[in-house]
Amino acid sequence: MSRPHSNPLTSLALAAAVLLRAAPLVAADPPVVIVIHGGAGVIERARMTAEREASYRAGLAAALDAGYAVLEGGGSALDAVGAAVRTMEDDPQFNAGRGAVLNHDGICELDAAIMDGSGPRAGAVAGVRHVKNPIDLARLVMDNSPHVLLAGQGAEEFALAQGVVLVPESYFITPLRLRELEEEKRAAASRPPTAPLPIRPPAPKGMGTVGAVALDRTGHLAAATSTGGISNKLYGRIGDTPIIGAGTYAGESCAVSGTGQGEFYIRQVVAYDICAMVQYQHLTLARAVEVMMHDKLKRTGGEGGVIALDHDGNFAMDFNSAGMHRGVRDSRGRRDIAMYRDAN
Amino acid sequence: MYAIAIHGGAGAVPRATLSPEREQRYRAGLEAALDGGYAVLERGGSSLDAVTAAVRVLEDDPCFNAGRGAALTRDGAAELDAAIMDGRQQRAGAVASVRHIKNPVELARRVMEKSRHVLLVGAGAEEFALEEGFCLVPNLYFRTPERQSQLEHEQRGERVSDLVPPTRGTVGAVACDRDGNLAAATSTGGMTNKRPGRVGDSPIIGAGTYAKNGVCAVSATGHGEYFIRAVAAHHVCAAVEYRGLTLELAIAELLHDILRGLGGDGGLIGVDRGGQIVMDFSTEGMYRGARDSAGRSEIAIY
Repeated sequence: MSRPHSNPLTSLALAAAVLLRAAPLVAADPPVVIVIHGGAGVIERARMTAEREASYRAGLAAALDAGYAVLEGGGSALDAVGAAVRTMEDDPQFNAGRGAVLNHDGICELDAAIMDGSGPRAGAVAGVRHVKNPIDLARLVMDNSPHVLLAGQGAEEFALAQGVVLVPESYFITPLRLRELEEEKRAAASRPPTAPLPIRPPAPKGMGTVGAVALDRTGHLAAATSTGGISNKLYGRIGDTPIIGAGTYAGESCAVSGTGQGEFYIRQVVAYDICAMVQYQHLTLARAVEVMMHDKLKRTGGEGGVIALDHDGNFAMDFNSAGMHRGVRDSRGRRDIAMYRDAN
Repeated sequence: MYAIAIHGGAGAVPRATLSPEREQRYRAGLEAALDGGYAVLERGGSSLDAVTAAVRVLEDDPCFNAGRGAALTRDGAAELDAAIMDGRQQRAGAVASVRHIKNPVELARRVMEKSRHVLLVGAGAEEFALEEGFCLVPNLYFRTPERQSQLEHEQRGERVSDLVPPTRGTVGAVACDRDGNLAAATSTGGMTNKRPGRVGDSPIIGAGTYAKNGVCAVSATGHGEYFIRAVAAHHVCAAVEYRGLTLELAIAELLHDILRGLGGDGGLIGVDRGGQIVMDFSTEGMYRGARDSAGRSEIAIY
């Protein structure tokens, strides 16, 4: 499931563009674009089997194409990011929806957010346990409630009132995540559970949050992010994903979705700060993302990645971890999927 | 120079509906909070300790919508949110939807100092509190007859006439200490008749609370959903840091231009790296107070 465009010249050009992490486009005919991520972390070729790699690529391709189909059909960026994220929530490989990591009690607690850059309007849910597609509930919060963020049982009460069918906790649990939880608990036994957030913590193994940003035909941007958070989490911990401005943000000129060590993303207000650097310091999107990932975030010890898109269709997919599951597709024929540092 | 500013919520505060006795109670409450925070700064304490002390006083005062006397949810319970941020390393802690924590700002601080996380919510946050040795209090502790009658009014579909104290209000403090360290803290019960589980801007770092040394510290109060969408507190810091706006201009632009454009109102207090205090609002009034080592000392409502 690598690139469908097999022309070697095209491939070379695409690889070069990805290496530069952004592709400036001519202003004339604004393209439709969708960019997705399926998490950042220790994603290295040496640790990956061919089957797993193919399976991840297939999962990313399915989400990318689902989102792109919406844009191609003239649909909104909002619907496109919703479709892409929903696809990854349903895919047990990713840390969102089914197959999300388990909390300390062995239960999935899911967070999601969506933002419409043209409002700006936003909706988010945190700590839900019985909602098959948290991203759809976040959208309902945005569309049908006066609120932005609903948490826990209150969010599920709202879901029921909106006619959402709840699923049992067992729907989300996969054998892989159960094994990971056991491992994490063994590792955690050696450190106190309430040790303060270290300035430079050890890099976590994988941060599989999923997300998407899109630009539609009418020039509107949207962003969406969904996650199970971190394995073995305690105390109702909420990361950056449902926090508007931290893990998810979309305005008129810029949309961002993040994946990484959420606590650091919250403290730096990562998604909004990238847009502020573009708008106020007049940095290019690629440069703003680079400053965030390789300077600001790295300096505080935060690890992860972001995808970002501006209203001209310029995009960035950058990370300071070993790898990031990612993909981009636009109306100019680009369709890339990559996982590793080296643009593949 | 060291300085502290506090707010006790913004909203429609028509002079006519606020009796002299009540006004006196609010002023006394603000004064006590300002005293508590300023005393910390005066004896060389940190801005972090100062904002904690000031917010704790406001949480304990049933006049204000935080801690005891918080606005009640649709099901008649108090559900509290709070956040604190240290401008030094931009460390932060926050709690949302806790129902049995006497001083949510102290739990937020504990999250910052003793957990690996920034935001804890609901029962999980209270579990953490118990492990940290907090004594939980019954939810009844927070409920006052005044809030109960406000809830009943709201549920009967009657507009609460005076919003006193503002039911969308919040309390907060910002401070700059002798070493130039900045800190911000915010605490609230949220909106009257809110849906259980609704989280506003107070515990959202970047929305209702933000602090960054060398730039500014900000605490917001108002219609939280709008402050979240505008990423209000961080927006103010970004305008100061990236565009070189004064804090006063940055806050004015956010309140009177951006938020008004979105249809949201409220107020913000901020202190910049030089210890200059700004207090502004787009509502009829905001309970507020400021004091600094250069001799500024004020309490105001309108």
